[in-house]
Order: sequence, then structure tokens, then C-alpha cells
Amino acid sequence: MTNVNVNAVAKTYGTTPVLTDISTDFPEGSFTSLLGPSGSGKTTLLRIIAGFIRPDEGIVSIGGRDVTHVPVWGRNIGMMFQSYALFPHMTIAQNVAFGLGRRGIHGAEARKQVDAALEMVRLPGFADRMPKQLSGGQQQRVALARAMVIKPSVLLLDEPLSALDRRLRQEMQVELLRIQRETGLTTIFVTHDQEEALTLSDKVAILDKGRIVQIGDPETVYEKPLTRFAAEFLGDSNFLRGKVESGTVRLADGTVVHVTGALPADGAQATLAVRPEKMFVVKDTSPGNRLTARITTVIYAGQALSYILETADGMQVKLFAQNRDGNLLKQGETVVLGWSADHTVAVAD
Amino acid sequence: MRSDTILNDAARGSSDPRQRRPIPAWVATTALLLPTYGWLTLAVLLPLLTMFVFSFMSATPMGKTPIVFTLKHYRAFIDQPYLINIAWTSLVIGFWTTLLCAVFGFLAAVALARATVGRMRETLLVLLLLPFWTNGLVRVFSWTMVLRENGFLDGVVHMLLPDIGSVSFLYTRYAIVLGLVHGYLPYMILTCYIALSTIDDAIIEAAASLGARWWTILLRILLPLAAPGLISGAVLTFVPVIGSFMEPRILGGKVGVTMGTVIEDQFTQAFNWPLGAALSFTLLAVVLAIFATFSGVLRRGTTA
Amino acid sequence: MRQLGRIYLLAILFFLYTPILVMMAMGFNESQLYELPFRFSTRWYVALMDNQQLLKAGMNSIIIAVITAVIATCLGTMASIALSRRTFRGKSLLQLLLLPPIAIPWLITGTAMLVFFYWSGIGRGMHALLIGHVALAIPYVVLVVGTGFNTIRADLEEAAMSLGSTPIHAFFAVTLPLLFPSILGAALFAFAVSLDQFVISYFLATPGYSTLPVQIYSAIRKGFTPEINAISTLLLLGSMAAILIFARFAKPGDVSDKR
Repeated sequence: MTNVNVNAVAKTYGTTPVLTDISTDFPEGSFTSLLGPSGSGKTTLLRIIAGFIRPDEGIVSIGGRDVTHVPVWGRNIGMMFQSYALFPHMTIAQNVAFGLGRRGIHGAEARKQVDAALEMVRLPGFADRMPKQLSGGQQQRVALARAMVIKPSVLLLDEPLSALDRRLRQEMQVELLRIQRETGLTTIFVTHDQEEALTLSDKVAILDKGRIVQIGDPETVYEKPLTRFAAEFLGDSNFLRGKVESGTVRLADGTVVHVTGALPADGAQATLAVRPEKMFVVKDTSPGNRLTARITTVIYAGQALSYILETADGMQVKLFAQNRDGNLLKQGETVVLGWSADHTVAVAD
Repeated sequence: MRSDTILNDAARGSSDPRQRRPIPAWVATTALLLPTYGWLTLAVLLPLLTMFVFSFMSATPMGKTPIVFTLKHYRAFIDQPYLINIAWTSLVIGFWTTLLCAVFGFLAAVALARATVGRMRETLLVLLLLPFWTNGLVRVFSWTMVLRENGFLDGVVHMLLPDIGSVSFLYTRYAIVLGLVHGYLPYMILTCYIALSTIDDAIIEAAASLGARWWTILLRILLPLAAPGLISGAVLTFVPVIGSFMEPRILGGKVGVTMGTVIEDQFTQAFNWPLGAALSFTLLAVVLAIFATFSGVLRRGTTA
Repeated sequence: MRQLGRIYLLAILFFLYTPILVMMAMGFNESQLYELPFRFSTRWYVALMDNQQLLKAGMNSIIIAVITAVIATCLGTMASIALSRRTFRGKSLLQLLLLPPIAIPWLITGTAMLVFFYWSGIGRGMHALLIGHVALAIPYVVLVVGTGFNTIRADLEEAAMSLGSTPIHAFFAVTLPLLFPSILGAALFAFAVSLDQFVISYFLATPGYSTLPVQIYSAIRKGFTPEINAISTLLLLGSMAAILIFARFAKPGDVSDKR
């Protein structure tokens, strides 16, 4: 078991910087998701760790060993691809045994390990089939068995679930998590599915324009986003802009917003992020953060309700609510929204 | 035991990675490409270059005649006006061949794409394309069996209409065009079919749902969408046709004098290589001009 | 509409195949002057067996086609690996340079070869024919093998490398077996291209060394006998067989493995 460390890694294609000065540590046994929009550099970072791409600068080490100049085939990684990448001309057993063969393990010993690996991904008895005869989900399980059977020092996953439909994907998430927990393998997972990232990982790294804008456990990253981008990309957010005045923020229409966390200096502009599900409709006029707005759109989605509201000066606000009593707010209604100062986070633009 | 050696190998690889990739990428790339491009240089590029030089020589450099460089062969069209007529004949033959191929080929592609499915379509496609990959010379020769007096065509016509005289038109320009259409029709069908097969059925259904009848669909939807295939097919028909020489010879007899046969004569009969070279290069210039004009369409047509 | 379309396709097939079938039938007709009524005879095939000139030319054609297929497939496959899997500067120029043998009328290419081979002392004959035929076949090989490459996902090699393969091992263990049908198809294609090639051969053949199409051409121009039909029939069947086997291997319609 090993950790993965990336230090000051940078990569430029032509004149376009894809990664700029990435430094982070993936601790031993951790499951980290690299989350970001396409073009954010998340796949490039994964491929640099895998060894398919050489960074222009910086050092990659796996288990304390500098592997920056070690080619892919010398790094002992396990990798899963979006397309499964099973060898179509080989049986399932031959696919799984491929990496063993490269390590000099043949014959009965290889057969034993292949069977164990197929057992692990719950596909015993599939050894002699061809990849084409398997469903997408089954193929991805084989790919997982093939990556795990070589006892890699790190498991790298390049959007392995994105080609599966929703139900299969959830099934595979559970499977992946179970196997990762059982083996305690350091895992790095590239995805653009934020829900997947939050469910699976014990660390989430959000990438934007070739930088890691925030990395931490899912709860911290979600509850305390550092930047507007992080708040917007992971989940949904309302943004309130105003001027800092003695520990509070005064919005353009004069509303004063209380914030528990740190704020910029007095007189500076600040952007506050508030999750739509943290807001609620208040009837009384007790003190606390308050905002008056008119409902413009009601979106009914069964268990959940979303409202889009507009304040007097035209600012749009989103509100998520659980459908507890089947009573919907009406379009055109003007309501007062309340939320806690704890749930108000000042973010960098 | 063996797994240990491999792991040791990998560990050593980390300390000195250069040992593991002894060949730089560019050397490998060059080594892969060199034989092919060397061969093409020797067999195609250098010959074209040499012929270009030859086209400026006053006479074929054999024997003792002193050679001077001259532009006179490129003036042949002015000095020998009959060449203009021959060039015109070639263009007319090229035009009619291309037009007939385009009309019949496009319709065949439409029929293939819209009126057939599955295995039947695959079989028909193979059958339609198969003649293109057989010997062109033999196919031209086979038309003489059909078109000659008392040939197959006469036989069939006389069975139906016993009183009529021979309808043989071997050794006419019609025969030349017929033979050339026979030669290049499969290619036109292929290029049109490739263009048509990428059209989504929903587009046709959308047009039909908007009230379009079949001729509107054919002319306003299928034709414009197949245009790239039609144009690349037309270019790739016209170009070889204006350079053809054995089709006019075999099917045209005495009337089959074209640019192609004139060039052939310079190299095999008249032994005036510089004139032949100059005429070849004039033809090549026309060909390149056509390719340049349609290069955008051709590139899309071949990658689609 | 559907019926009309199918009838039209049958008419096109009739147009394409009638002369070929007539030509083939005449090879089995008794009359030397192709006269009807048709009387079945194999005398022209028997006569062909005694025609040393045609048989030798036929043998030459097959030998040239086999050698061409081997050389062109090796060189073309190598070039295709570089063009499909590697990135380097000037790639599109190199791809463009594959076109002249296909796109320029063979009359021009053939006469240019004649001039250059004469001037450089390479001369004419078997070696000259081989140089020409291989050059014509290479672009087709690169195209066919390149199409094969496109159906093989690049991440298969990456998967092999992640499992411990060097790039060379990954190529031989994964890519080459998957590419094999395309390479075989390309070889058959090159064989057919060479077997059917007339124009280039016509300019590069010598009186002592020529190929079947060249012999057929001179026979047609000198006045011909049904022996020509007999040998032409064999030639057509040969190249049709090669192309049909090619279609079977390269499966041009099969894109199910494509990304």
C-alpha cells in the first residue's frame, strides 16, 4: 500500500497550459475524486500519474519512489478506462491473466489468481467467454478484475462508469467502494459526475483551468467552498454580493447578511454563497438572515421542490425544499427567506 | 521466482529509464516511413520530375542529335491546330461520361440507400462494386463482343425485330462513352452511396411530415446532401477519363483519337518523348487544377 | 417506390454484367468469329494450353502480383503504423503524397516512369514493372490498414501498457492480432491492383517480358481469337475472387467495434 504524491507538476501543449503547478498528496488507502469540467486538466493529471504523459515540470512519486521518468509499464498501476478497453481477441481469462503474464506468472498459479479475481468481481464461471458476449457492466467488472489481479500499488480510474446506465452505475459504485475498502488500495478517480464523486470518495479535488481550486473531504468541500467556481460546480449555490461592514455584509438593497466564517476587510466587496437547500421560508420576523423575494417559477419533482425567486432589485435566488406536506408555494407569491449565518460562506471570485 | 526478476527489472527501469527506451520516437517514425516514401520517390516523384525536364528538350535524347532546351512543345496547341480538336474531343467524351455516370450512379445510390436493407443491401453493394476491381482492359474488350456487327446486341435486336438492319455502333464515340461509363459507374455509385448513407432517416421523415413528395425529397434533400459524394465521384471519373487511351483505341477505332492516344503515340510510335512529356504535363496541369478547385469537397468526401 | 428502386438496381447490374458474361460465354463458343448460334466447345481453352506466350505472360502476372502484394503490404503497413499512431510534423503532407499514384492518370505516371527508368538506366522489364506496381499498391495498403487502425481503440494499447507491456509488446500482443484481417485484406487488394494493372505495365514491359493484360492488349489490336476470351475469363475470375476474399476479411461495412 502506498501513497501518491504530485509535486509542482505542470504541462503545456503548444502554448496552452493544461496543468499549472499542481501539488497534492493522495494518502495511502484514500479514495480521491478528481472533479472538474472537461478541459479542466483532470484527465491529464490522471494520465501523468499513470505515466502516459510526461509532465514538463514537477515530480510524481508513488510510495515514496520518484517515478517521473518511469514509463507506464514500470509503475505497477491498475487502470480502468471509460471504454473498458478489454482485448476483444482474448477470452475473459486471458484478459485478466494478461498483466500476470507480464509479471512472469503463468499456468496453474495464474489460473488460480484469475479465478480469485473473477470471484471478487462476482463473475465466476465467465472465464472462457469473449468480451463481446458480456454486457457493459460485466465488461467493466472484468476490467476491474484485470486491474486488481496484478496487485497494483495504485488504482487509477478514468471515468470508468460514465458509459453505464444509471442503475448499473449505482451498482458498480457500490462494488467499487466495497473492493476498494477491502483492499485498502490508494485510488484516484476521474469523473465529471459530482454525485458520484461525493458518494465514493473520502477526498474530492476540484479542478478548474489546470489548477486544483479546492481539495478536502466531501463534506468540507461542499459545505465550505473556497471559490465561487467550487460552490457552483459542486452542487448549486446562490451568490449574494455586497460590501463588508463590521463583520457583516450589506447588499445593494441594504439587506444586512450575517456570516460566521472569515470575511475580507471592512469596505471590501464580498461574494457570499448560500446553498439553496439551506434556505427556508420564514413566517415570523425574528432576527437572522432575511431576504424578501417573489416566486417566479415552481418546479415540482415529486420528493423535492425547487423554486426560482426574484428579489425587488432583480436578483435571482434558488430555493430547494423537501416535499413534506404536499403544500406548494404559488407562483407570484412573495415570501421571506431565512438561513443561518453558519451556512453563509464568503467565496473568492 | 520469475515474478521477482520482472519486478527487479521494473525497479532497475526506474533508476535508469533510458535503458528501457533505446530508440527515440523520431527515429522509429522515420524508420517506419522511409521505405514507403523512398519507394514512392523513386517510382513516382522522380519520374514526374524527369519527365518535366524532358518536356523542355528539343528532341528525345537518344542518338547524336544535340539537345537544346526549348518551350516549343508547350506551343504545340498553337503550332498544330488539330491538337485543339483532339483536346476538345477528349473534353466532350469526359463531359458526357461524367454526366451519365453522375445521373445513373446517383439514382443507383439512392435506390441502394432507400430501397434495400441489411444483407440484400450488402450483397448488392458488393455486386455493384465488383466490376470496378476487375481488369478494365478486359471489360472494354468485352464490349466489342456486344457492340460489333452480328454481335450480342445485333443478335438480341434481330430476335425481337427481324427486319431491322444492324444497330452496331462499335467504332463510334458513343461506344467510347458507353465503355467509359461502364468502367466508372461503380465508383460514382460508391461515392454517392457513402454520402447518402450518413443521412439520418429522421431527416427524410421530417421532410415527408412537412408534406414533401418523393421528387421533392429527391431533389431538395437527397441531392444537396449527396453533393459532396457526387462531386468527388465526378472528379474521380473525369480525371482518368480525359487521360484514357485504351478505351478510345479499342472501342473507337479510327475515330478514337484523344489526348490519351496522342500521348501514347508519342511514346510508343512517334518516339517524340519531349512532345509527349509536354502534352502529359499540360494534361497534368488540367488535372491538378480540377483537384485544387474541388480539394475541399474531396477531402470531406474521403474522410466522411 | 421501393419496387421501382430495386428494378432499377437490377437494370444497372444487367448493364454492368452483360458484356462480361457475353465475353465469358464467347470463350466457350465453337465459332472463331464469335458467330451465333452458340455451340458449346472447350476448344479455346485447349488452344490456350498450347499458347506459350499467353501462359508465360499469365505466369509473369501472377508472380509480379504476389511479389507486389508482399512488398507493398510490408512497406504500407509500416507507414500506416506511423501515420495512424504517431504524431509528428508534416504528417498531412506525407498523407497527401500518397495520392499521386492513385489520382494522377496512369498514362501520365506510366510514361513518366518510362522516361525516368530509361534515363536513369533502370531500364524496363520485370524489375521496372515491380517498382511501378508496388508504388501503385502502397497507397491502397496504407488506406486499408489505416482503416483497420481506426477500428482499434488506442486505449487498448494503453491498457496493455498499464498492465506492464512495453509499447512493442503491446503492439505485438494486442494491436497486431486485431489488425491482422486488415493486413491480409490489404495484401489481397494489392494483389488485385497488380494483377489488373495494364497501363503502367504497357509502358514498362519489354518484348521478352510482359504481363497478361499487355499481351491481351496487343492481341486485341492485332486481331484476336476466342483464346483471348478464355484467358480474360480466367483473369476476371481471379481478381474477382481476390476482391471477394478481401471484402470478407476487411469487412468494409463492419464498424461495430468503432469508437
